[in-house]
Amino acid sequence: MDDIGWLSVTGRILWQFLPVWICLAVTFAVSIRYKRSLGLYGKLFDSTIGMIGFAMVMFWVFTAVFADMVATHDVLSQISQMKNKPPGTVVPAGTSHYLLGGDHLGRDVFSRMVVGSRIVIQIAPLATMFAFMVGITIGLPAAYYGGTLDTVLSFMANLILAFPVILLFYLLVTPEIVATGLPQYMGLVLFLFPILFLVVLVNSRYYVKPQFRNVVVGLIVLVGGFFYLALVSEPESAVAILPRRLDFLSVPGNILIVFVSVVFVNSPTVFRIVRGITLDIKTRDYVSAAQTRGERPWYIMLWEILPNARGPLIVDFCLRIGYTTILLGTLGFFGLGLSPESPDWGSTINAGRKLLTVAPHPAIFPALALMSLVLGLNLLADGLREESLKD
Amino acid sequence: MSPADYEGPILEIERLSISFFTRLREIPAVMDFSCTVQPGEAMGLVGESGCGKSTVALAVMRYLGKNGRITGGSIRFKGRDLVNMSDEELRHIRGSEIAMIYQEPMASLNPAMRIGDQLAEVPMIHAGVSREEALRRAREVVSDVRLPDPDRMLRSYPHQLSGGQQQRIVIAMALMSKPSLLILDEPTTALDVTVEAAVVDLVKDLREKYGTSILFISHNLGLVMDVCDRLCVMYSGEAVETGSIKDVFDRMQHPYTQALFRSIPLPGADKNARPLISIPGNFPLPHERPNGCNFGPRCSYFEAGRCDAADVPMFAVDGHDRHETRCIRFREIDWAAPPKVARTTEKAVPGRVVLKMEDLKKYYEVAANSLFGKSGAKKVVKANETLSFEAREGETLAIVGESGCGKSTFAKVLMGLETATSGRIMLYDRDIQSTPIEKRSTDTVSGVQMVFQNPFDTLNPSMTVGRQIIRALEIFGEGKTDEDRRNRMLELLDLVKLPRQFADRMPRQLSGGQKQRVGIARAFAGGAKVVVADEPVSALDVSVQAAVTDLLMEIQRKNKTTLLFISHDLSIVRYLSDRVMVMYLGHVVELGTTDQVFSPPYHPYTEALLSAVPIADTHVQKKRIVLEGDIPSAMNPPPGCPFQTRCRWKSKVPGNLCETEVPPMRQLAEGHQIKCHLPDSELARMEPVIKIAAE
Repeated sequence: MDDIGWLSVTGRILWQFLPVWICLAVTFAVSIRYKRSLGLYGKLFDSTIGMIGFAMVMFWVFTAVFADMVATHDVLSQISQMKNKPPGTVVPAGTSHYLLGGDHLGRDVFSRMVVGSRIVIQIAPLATMFAFMVGITIGLPAAYYGGTLDTVLSFMANLILAFPVILLFYLLVTPEIVATGLPQYMGLVLFLFPILFLVVLVNSRYYVKPQFRNVVVGLIVLVGGFFYLALVSEPESAVAILPRRLDFLSVPGNILIVFVSVVFVNSPTVFRIVRGITLDIKTRDYVSAAQTRGERPWYIMLWEILPNARGPLIVDFCLRIGYTTILLGTLGFFGLGLSPESPDWGSTINAGRKLLTVAPHPAIFPALALMSLVLGLNLLADGLREESLKD
Repeated sequence: MSPADYEGPILEIERLSISFFTRLREIPAVMDFSCTVQPGEAMGLVGESGCGKSTVALAVMRYLGKNGRITGGSIRFKGRDLVNMSDEELRHIRGSEIAMIYQEPMASLNPAMRIGDQLAEVPMIHAGVSREEALRRAREVVSDVRLPDPDRMLRSYPHQLSGGQQQRIVIAMALMSKPSLLILDEPTTALDVTVEAAVVDLVKDLREKYGTSILFISHNLGLVMDVCDRLCVMYSGEAVETGSIKDVFDRMQHPYTQALFRSIPLPGADKNARPLISIPGNFPLPHERPNGCNFGPRCSYFEAGRCDAADVPMFAVDGHDRHETRCIRFREIDWAAPPKVARTTEKAVPGRVVLKMEDLKKYYEVAANSLFGKSGAKKVVKANETLSFEAREGETLAIVGESGCGKSTFAKVLMGLETATSGRIMLYDRDIQSTPIEKRSTDTVSGVQMVFQNPFDTLNPSMTVGRQIIRALEIFGEGKTDEDRRNRMLELLDLVKLPRQFADRMPRQLSGGQKQRVGIARAFAGGAKVVVADEPVSALDVSVQAAVTDLLMEIQRKNKTTLLFISHDLSIVRYLSDRVMVMYLGHVVELGTTDQVFSPPYHPYTEALLSAVPIADTHVQKKRIVLEGDIPSAMNPPPGCPFQTRCRWKSKVPGNLCETEVPPMRQLAEGHQIKCHLPDSELARMEPVIKIAAE
């Protein structure tokens, strides 16, 4: 077997992504077929920009799902002869090619890029969702009650926003600070919000039907609480609440730190957005109508105001996943949090940057991947915004 | 021919058609519209929302947005074709020869520019005059629109002026270049009635002074009658009738015009003996217009096979002055026949006292400077000042007043969203003045409910109609099971005459009137005893107003509810209320039965208010009383009588009593109270404001 040229490299890459193409085609075919009955999601398929963005995002989502099928080599195995080899070089065994070349340790750049998408697709939306839960749970009462509560909460949000993010991350990953368990304690607080959010959501609406409410709230507390404990508790660390046998969810310490820091720096921004929208919506007549029939504040916030704030929030959610993706890249680039051999895009770019003049490909391809995902998210957000304004 | 010595009509629109193009389809907004405006003439365009009247105005300005297009016909301005005019020529005409005034004055002014600079821009751009000359002209026009202290006005920013002053500035700006045609698109809708009357008065005077032709767009027939010589009634994208005011008002030749007049409360209408007749059905959506006559499905003279056969052209009415109608049957219909009175009802007898207010006061403390609140003096806003009245079972008490009069604060205190500063509110025999809503019993909460003003805001847009009513039932503890509540909800929909399928609809699928019905159903979910209706129909179209008002009356009669009807529209108040309470700056200035309040002696403010309300009836003669200035701010009320700054009777009171002392509440007759210093002899000399001329 010989080295292959750019044309066949491209061809083979496209072929490798076959499962992704099939899934994309199916998704689009089904969505366009039923777009009139799919609400805002369906409307997305009326906007070219939105469709392009959605395709780019879903491309990486499916890539993450099928990473094992798409990748051609193991992401950690090194072949010393393949160090910094250009794209299309055949491996010494002659069985296959490094489609996008090898990096400075002789690992396959293509496979690392494909598998690296997994980390981004797993962490970014989840972290953004947590940030939204926190931001919403704090932003709604701040705007609804106003006054001192608003002043205090807004001040705290501003405080976090004003602190240099990178420095904050450095502080959080410093071994001394990790040893004190600070990131875990922060996780303890931040992870509590989704459960609180759900309980308040259900209770505020169903307190008029106590039996039903009790069952649902009980379920949420039991299931959510178990997940919560499993998530935060880590054997042999500062927080080891759950016995090892029951601790089925083990999040590696460094991932947890990344997760916590991303949630921590994103939630103040979400807080401000939610607060702004709420200030507007709370003057509407249907909010007054709810007040005059004696609804409790949390019902009004979560069932009268929040659903009507969804438009801008969904758009911001997409944009924010993009920011989070870049933030993850930045963290990886600075070598913060994730382990050095991790295939995530930030770490790979950082590793590749040292030999940028000799072999640019190990840094450029993950950078392109990062760019395409974020661009896709931004286009998706644009499309959603455009379509949500139309009627 | 140069434009200057042109002598034909100012504006000629012939068979104009306009469409908007959306993703799905072409939506025709205006079809086959023709009208002519002669020099110095004022033409009114009347119709309900969505009938295309604003689109016509925008087409004249050639400003239809990117998806609107003129698909046929011609618009000629002083003989020049506007439809095919280049952008360069249009720029020259817009703002200099045709000027437009919009509904929201604040949105038409640049908030970051001083008034003077904004006004001076017009002649600087169009006539190329120097800045000094432009400012001099601006000062002249500002005094022409009767604004006090023009120099100060020119130096201020838009937000420093009140709504009425802003609209005057917009009018001044339109007049800066002495246009030949002035288009006014609902110029007074955002203003209070007394301010509206002053602005309308100003427009009429300026028209005489400058000789400008006017295209006046409004949904209010009374206003059009006040301002215009001729009018054009539009329905669903077509002109249905056009002619002189006198002809159209008194000798109408189109069923829609007739139905419109029968659905507005005119003096003489009475909820029991002569109820309003609403137009059945709904306005057709632009892409669901019927064949033939657009008004056919709602018309009581409809004849199948003729009216729905083909598009109806405009017919000239013989013997009238340029009077045209779009009705095939106009020669056959007996226009003078009196309307069929559907049913007359017995006047309800008010029962026992349900709600009683005694010396209710609500003051707000406002820090003069919120950032450094400690150092600044606290200001007290007296939103409600010694309110006392009682309301009986089954009675309708109207609360009349303009913005800032304290009626919303009063509603908030009654509902328990705020607590009273002092005084008592008694609901039956319970004191509720200092119980906030969280502490009220479910009974009290469901007993006092509210119908809101804005139909587009009153329902939660992301919850189905049924769900919202069921929620109210849940909160009020009605029904044992979900099944019970669902049935009760369907009954409520029946009560407000909405089809049961509406339960699963989202609010955006409903029209304004339908939404307001859902709002009423929700208010009555817990069997409300007292319902506060805050201008429940003022945002609805005329034809729908009558139906919703009727519905409210009917439910009230059935449930013996006490209705507190807040409104600024005295026509509708006169039509439906048993007693009237007039408020000004937090004070009740007059309280009495409807007849007492609507006939002299009046409180001077009531008199002005009565005179300000436009009445669409050519037989009514009104005394014109234009109030000077604006309503003072509640933050900074005048000393003494709250109305003294605008009162035209002030000189009749001896000494400076008005400026120093708040007048006491005086008993004029049984149940008629008035807060005024005027001696009895002066009150006795007051003449009625509205006189109905002998037929």
